[in-house]
Formats: sequence, structure tokens, C-alpha cells
Amino acid sequence: MLRKLLKHEFRATGRVMLPMYLILLVTAVGSNLAGRGMLDGRSDVLNILGVIIVMAFGIAICGVLVMSFVLMIQRFYKNLLQDEGYLMFTLPVSVHQHIWSKLIVSVVWFAATVLAIIAASLVVAYQGGFLREFLDFLGWFFEGLQKLKISETLNGTVYLMEFAVLMFVSLAAFALQFYAALAAGHSRANHKMVWSVAWFFGFQFALQFLGSLLFITLDRLHIPFPLELDWNPSPAVAIHVGLLLAIGVVILYGAIFYAVTTFFLKKHLNLE
Amino acid sequence: MPVLECKGLTKRFGRTTALDEVSLTIEPGRIVGLLGPNGSGKTTLIKLANGLLTPDGGYIAVCGSAPGRESHALVSYLPERTAIPTWMTARQLLDFYGDFYRDFRRDAAEEMLDHLGIQPAQAVKQMSKGTREKVQLIMVMSRAAKLYLLDEPIGGVDPATRDYILSTIIGNYNPEAAVVISTHLISDVEKVLDEVIFINQGQIMLQSTVDDIREEKGMSVDALFREVFKC
Repeated sequence: MLRKLLKHEFRATGRVMLPMYLILLVTAVGSNLAGRGMLDGRSDVLNILGVIIVMAFGIAICGVLVMSFVLMIQRFYKNLLQDEGYLMFTLPVSVHQHIWSKLIVSVVWFAATVLAIIAASLVVAYQGGFLREFLDFLGWFFEGLQKLKISETLNGTVYLMEFAVLMFVSLAAFALQFYAALAAGHSRANHKMVWSVAWFFGFQFALQFLGSLLFITLDRLHIPFPLELDWNPSPAVAIHVGLLLAIGVVILYGAIFYAVTTFFLKKHLNLE
Repeated sequence: MPVLECKGLTKRFGRTTALDEVSLTIEPGRIVGLLGPNGSGKTTLIKLANGLLTPDGGYIAVCGSAPGRESHALVSYLPERTAIPTWMTARQLLDFYGDFYRDFRRDAAEEMLDHLGIQPAQAVKQMSKGTREKVQLIMVMSRAAKLYLLDEPIGGVDPATRDYILSTIIGNYNPEAAVVISTHLISDVEKVLDEVIFINQGQIMLQSTVDDIREEKGMSVDALFREVFKC
């Protein structure tokens, strides 16, 4: 059933995101053309037109970023907590599947947005010979990689992967904090959105308070850090440990909000 | 086995008791009117049966199991508001119901939509309020469910649409299933009901067959309702 939920969720969100990507591509092509002569000052009209097109590209980048964020919250709110919730919560699917479908689709659109912006930037930068230069750069890059030691190459690749995982889990955890606040706020009989905002800031406050308390406690307990133990990791290993630790902490943070969201949707659902 | 069973079912909203120790049983093959004035607890009972609310006390079962994922596959629910996504086209709506409900009869739904003159590519948001309600009802009644829970299906629509809705219900429900119609518009639904449940202030006042009311009380359900709920 999760597959079916994902299918319809992509259908619902794709009708918004795909035209946004199209606008991004069109303004990127326009900006590329503007850079090829419109902005050289020979004609005021072309100059103004060129500036407008380049500005439109900038706005389009902001637009897709904002929209992928707005959609993440709006789909959860409108599809599950507003009128459509009467249909969605009476489907033969579990609350867990509902949350995962929203989460997966949001993260996929965020990743697609990042890729779309990179692709659009390449389109803007494209000139005669650009492709050759770009391929030359890639060739130079991989040649450089081959000259490095295997361990250094491997470390670099793993850093990138760890960083990408950290980005994805952070996005998912951030989305879950919004979902938890919306689910908790909408369990109230009245002023649901006001309560949701209050819950969001309440969560934020609680996290900061508990985090600070944890650091202070650890400091007072004088628990030895790894460097004070016999274990002396190399800087490369220390970065891996740091990134993996960060991933673990973010997963824990997301899991707490996942549990809160599930609890309110299962036990305190209160659709208007 | 009853399709819907409640024992001592209680639901509170703050200090207000919406349902107070409600016990009732609905058997398959019956069309039951859940009748009561506004705020009597009809919608709360239907929401509890759909798992949209959690009871504060007592027990509710649909086809022997607590409301949840399994019971959702057996219950076809018409909420009192338009819940179908308005961005969808009629075709996408058919895909949606077909994907999630094994008992969805797509050909029956297509025939009814065609009868209403609705094109598959027409978006729900392009339809009038009345047409949206009809489309939602078509989706609900195109399922071969065990229990149909219809919350105010004829509220807020013109008399011609009421007739269309009632004929759609009668013409399409699974005869082995039970149909529960919640309404306060008694005279319009009386002709299709086998049984009635009167509910007021969260308590069941009466559960009886329509024939028994006519024979024993010598009056119509509408007349009895007016007498019981006289202000």
C-alpha cells in the first residue's frame, strides 16, 4: 500500500513541482542567451530585457526551493488534517505508511530540486566549448583522484556519502518536527493552527533546553572524551566518527518526532 | 455476525459528553436510519466506527474487529463534507479508489459518471458543489462493502438531488451489507429505511424496525420523530 500512496503523492506534488522545474529551465536558457550579447550595453532595451531574464532565473531558483519546502508542510496539512483527511484516514493503510509516504516524497523533491538547480546553473554557464571544458575538468579531477592514495580516495568518497546521508536525514527530521507540531496542534478542538505553531516552538525550546542540559551534565561529570582515552584516531577517522555521530543524533531527533506524530494521529486524531 | 456493534461506547470532548454509554447492534442486509437532531452524536458515532476518533470508554467493532486498517477495507464511508481531492480528475479519482479498494467496481462508477455527463478528464474543482457530492457518493456506492456509513448524504442539496442520491444508494448497495444513513431529514429517507435508531444528547432513545413503528405506534417515522424530539 505504501507504493500506492507514493504513486498518488507523487502525482499530487508533481503537478506543482514539474512546472516549477520547467520555469527554472526556461529562465536558465534565457539567462544563457542574455549572457551572450543582451547585456553588453549595445541596446538599452536588450540590456533591460537581459537583466529581467537573469532576475527571473534568480527568482525561479528561490521559487523552487520555497515551493519544495512549502509543499512538504502543505501536503501533510491539507491531505491528512483537513477535509481530505476523512478520505485518507479511512483508506486501508496504516498511519506509519501515511507518514512515510509524505516523508519520502518530500525528501525526493528536495533532492530533485538541488539537482535541478545544479543542472540549471550548468545551462546558464554553457557556452561554445563549455562541454569540452567541463569534460576536461572531470578528466583532470579523476586523474587527480588516481594520484591520491587509495585510502585518501576512499575517505573522500565516504565523506561525501556520509555528508549526503546527513543532509537527507536532517531534511527528514526537520520535516518530522513540522509534522509532529501539526499533528499535536490539530488534536485540539479549536485554534488548531495557533496550537500547531505553539507546539513547534515548544519542541524547539525543549530540544535546546535538553541539549544544553546534556552538555552541561557531561561537562560536570568529567567524562573523558576519546582524545583523553588511549584511543588516538587520525584526523580522517575522527571526521568519520563525527559525521556518523551527527547522523545518529539526527536520526534520534527525527525518531522522537516520528513517535510524537504517530501518537497524535493514532490516538488523538480530531478532524474538523 | 453483526456488521456494527457498540457496547457502553462513550466519547467526551472536554466537559461535553458526545456519546454516553451507547450500545447497539446492526445486522447485515438492513438499511438503517441514524436519526437525531443536530449535535445529537450521529457524526461522532460514525467517526468512531471509522476510527477517526478514539473512544473514551466502551467498545465498538466493525465486522468483529476494532476500527482500523482491516475494517477500512470493509467499510465504505461518505463523510458529511467533500473529502475527495479537488485537484483530481474523475479518471484519477477512479484510479485512486481502484488502487486502494479491492471491492471497487470501476465499471459501475464509470457508468454512473457517464450518466451524469461527467467527462473522465474533468477536474473535481471544475464541478459544482452538488456534482462533487454526487461524484463522492458514486465512489462510495461503487464499492461492494460490508457496511456503508453515510453521514448526512442528503443534507444541503435540492429535492431533485436528494432523489438522485437515494436512488443511487438503493440501486447500488451490496444486498448482503448494512447501510447506515445519518440524517435529520426523516421524511425524505423514511421510504427506504428498514430500521431506525433515534439518538439524542449522546444516548440511544429507540432502535426499532420501521414496520414495528407503523404497526405498534400507528404513525410514520417522521411523525414519531417529531413527537419524541418535540422542543
